Amino acid sequence: MVILLIAALAVPAMTGTALIVAGRGAETSNESDANRVSLAASVITAALVVISVIARPSLDAAWLPSLGVRWQFSVDGISAPLLLLTAALSIAVVVHASSHPPHGGSPTLFYGCLQLVEFGALATFLSRDAVIFFLSFEVVLIPMWVLISRFGDSHDLAARADASGRFVLYTVLGSTLMLVGILALVQSAGTGNLDQLARAHGAGMQPHTQVVIAALLLVGLGIKIPLFPLHTWLPPAHTTAPTAGSVLLAAVLLKMGTYGVVRLVIAPLPIGFGTLAPAFGALGVVGILWGGLACLVENDLKRLIAYSSVAHMGFVVLGLSSGTTVGLQAALFANVAHGVVSALLFFLVGGLKERWGSADLATARAALREVSPRLGISLVVGFAASLGLPGLVGFWGEFLAMYSAWSPAPDRPQLFMRVLAAVAVTGTAIAAGYSLRVLRLIWSGDRTSPAHPDAHGGEWSVLAVLVATVLVLGVAPQIVLNSTIKDVAAITAEVSR
Amino acid sequence: MSQGVVSVNVGVLLPVLAPAVGAAVILVADVVLQHLRRAHYVVALASLVVGAVATFAGLGTAAGAARQTLCLPGGGQCMYAGDSVASALQLAALLAAAVTLLLSWPDDRKQSTGGTAVMVSLVLSATAGATAVAGARDLGSWLVAIELATLPTVALVALRGARSAISGAVALLTTSLVSFGLLALAAGLWFTATSSGFITPAAALTVVDDPARRPILVLAVVLFVAGIGFKLSLVPFHAWTPEAYDGAPLPIAAFLAGVSKIAALAALLVVIRAVAPLGAPVLTSIALVAAASMTLGNIMAMRQNGVVRLLAWSTVAQAGWVVMPLATVNSAAVRASGAYLLAYVVATLLAFAVVAALVQTRGAERARDLSAYRGLMRDHPVLGAALGLALLSLAGLPPGVLGLVAKVTALRPVVGSELWLLAVIAAANAVLGVAVYVRWLRALLATPDEQPNGAAAGAGRGVKAHPATLVAVGFAAVSLVLTSISPQLILGMMGS
Repeated sequence: MVILLIAALAVPAMTGTALIVAGRGAETSNESDANRVSLAASVITAALVVISVIARPSLDAAWLPSLGVRWQFSVDGISAPLLLLTAALSIAVVVHASSHPPHGGSPTLFYGCLQLVEFGALATFLSRDAVIFFLSFEVVLIPMWVLISRFGDSHDLAARADASGRFVLYTVLGSTLMLVGILALVQSAGTGNLDQLARAHGAGMQPHTQVVIAALLLVGLGIKIPLFPLHTWLPPAHTTAPTAGSVLLAAVLLKMGTYGVVRLVIAPLPIGFGTLAPAFGALGVVGILWGGLACLVENDLKRLIAYSSVAHMGFVVLGLSSGTTVGLQAALFANVAHGVVSALLFFLVGGLKERWGSADLATARAALREVSPRLGISLVVGFAASLGLPGLVGFWGEFLAMYSAWSPAPDRPQLFMRVLAAVAVTGTAIAAGYSLRVLRLIWSGDRTSPAHPDAHGGEWSVLAVLVATVLVLGVAPQIVLNSTIKDVAAITAEVSR
Repeated sequence: MSQGVVSVNVGVLLPVLAPAVGAAVILVADVVLQHLRRAHYVVALASLVVGAVATFAGLGTAAGAARQTLCLPGGGQCMYAGDSVASALQLAALLAAAVTLLLSWPDDRKQSTGGTAVMVSLVLSATAGATAVAGARDLGSWLVAIELATLPTVALVALRGARSAISGAVALLTTSLVSFGLLALAAGLWFTATSSGFITPAAALTVVDDPARRPILVLAVVLFVAGIGFKLSLVPFHAWTPEAYDGAPLPIAAFLAGVSKIAALAALLVVIRAVAPLGAPVLTSIALVAAASMTLGNIMAMRQNGVVRLLAWSTVAQAGWVVMPLATVNSAAVRASGAYLLAYVVATLLAFAVVAALVQTRGAERARDLSAYRGLMRDHPVLGAALGLALLSLAGLPPGVLGLVAKVTALRPVVGSELWLLAVIAAANAVLGVAVYVRWLRALLATPDEQPNGAAAGAGRGVKAHPATLVAVGFAAVSLVLTSISPQLILGMMGS
């Protein structure tokens, strides 16, 4: 079984490297060949991930004895939904790209980078060694930078260079601060194994040390989440990135930040996180308002969805900061929900931008309801989920996050957390406002020109599957919640001890 | 060995003796048979390989298990110790010197400029100095060895004879003299404080509890650090670096970035290991110097448009990372510092080797400018990929895993001693460093079509790089790939 786990990482890593190396110099590298190879690799990887999620194998082998770093990979309830999300979306971006070929470089480089991003994300969610977690975190950086800087929106080259540079520099700052925190954590806890760290719950560590380490880790991971006011890299990166890059960035890479908070901060440093949680939650709520308000006036559709990501991740942060089982469950569910919804919206908006030539909302165009009903219905479902309509996937995470903030863990300041919950409620009202604004501008109405083609083939199948997922998880959230409950309870039972 | 004679074990000394003998053989051969060119290189490479093989015995040994020689009679102290850190640095110095020689391999297509024997023997003697200083444990041989590692480089820089070379050599010579003055003064103070000619913990320990002699020793160590700071290009002793790199022929710049840095760090480690019991004041000064070097080096490197100057300033920044772990009293710090240096040397030599190959195909004027690298990934996929890997390793980003692991290694002792401020400054500098190398990387990845003077790009086509240069690129690239897959190769060499 361990071999399957290794294969689940090796297939995307090898395919990615092979595509990039083999594509070099070959001027006429074939678009559809690269797509097929990449699709095959993603499907095989997804199959291996599914088997790993069911069989739960674990790997433990020495790598750097001098530093005490080991290859430790395994699956548990917390990482399983994120692994499945990553594997599924990796297939989706490849399928989608078959009908929307990349511009700006050789297709092999494009697909190779997608595979490497998948490899890095899977390794991050699988790793059980703190330093390996950091290394995997860094793996996604350069491929994503290439995706943005080579295949991104070429209308404004200076803006593209700025966006990709900002993405790399912000992320490196975050991950290096995280590294400092990880090294301190490993040093003072005496182990780099995340499971042992979680079981120890900071035993034997001074409260002061816990706070310092937790602060370093939260700032570092906060850049990735992104947490207000460290979010300023995200809107330009999303605006510029190609559709596949935007989808992976929003749906997978941002999740690495919140996942890291659960693994590296909440479980091993309960006292340190407890001290900082109110401030952490408050910044999350500021992000909810800030992102929502920006969405009300933003005219670039991609940038709008990027800001809405900041708002949605704010709910995740709020749930994490409550310190209760419900809060953590809410955060992990909202993680997955945002992954599905943002993927759906970025696929849609990427497709629309290609059809329209820009993503400017101020320009009057044919109403989606009239000329492209498939795109229209997907957009309605996407924004309805985004505003947290009950019965859709967006509802549960945000509702539970606010509930958990209203009744937080005993060591949290109750009144303060309730104020945060109340403010977050206004955030959902703002979300309703901007969602309806977008639908009014581009979905409703009876304009029929300039007409654009509706979704079909690969694009439609991806959208349809995501719409179905939004509905299924909205009706039956327990699919995810049941997966995470056991491991979440293990963390919080000790936290509230 | 108690007949009043200093014991000599040739096997242990071989890493030092091999290049020294090689240098002598070449000079004699040049007198006997003139107009030899390639033969000198072959002899030199052979002597370097012999020396490199001889270091294997000392690699990865446990702490304290040093192979000593030149011991005083009566089981006394030894003037030479080949422990794991010293052996690893010697191996790196010998291999780096070999890469330098490959980069300067004589080109049959060009007229001989003469002085081949001089150039090769100077490289070998500087290398002998570098390997000697790593093992030296007494003041006399330590001082002689570090100057042996430095003075030939002045001549090597000046050998080209161009105006910029002379100004580079003068900058190097001036700093070398100042640095030697500081080191000689430091040695004098050391002897005054400890009344011992040995740079060992035992000598320093006699002073720790004596309030009268302790300040003298601290002053000696600060002067040692300052003197070596010149050679290691640490701020505020860095000013010569861009001048000398830019003025020197490219292989010699690679030599300065590789062998000279190894020699300087080896010398510093000898002192640091001896004064570890002394603690705080010295360490604080190292922390300050490390933080200043990283920051200034990165900021200046970001502003450079010439690649050699960029690499020179990047050396200044990386030197800060190299000495950063030494700001802690920690046995792991010395190994971390050595491991970081080796990671830096492998990546930098690869970058220099690629630049050298491009100088040969595109001409010196253009290959030294950042804009000439636009679209390299498409024009020369192999060279482009090698350079990209080297830059990513220097930046510390996967797939340059070696550089990333080196950063982890260097930060570990700092975090372990809870020097939070230094750790955060280092984190900020990791970002600045990425900004430096990403600028170059962006040029590599750019589409050549965007190039303003597209016609000139093809001008150098048809001229092939010298095979020896390509061998150097291949050797450095394979080393970087292997050590990236298994950084333990380098970490393990440093011992435990």
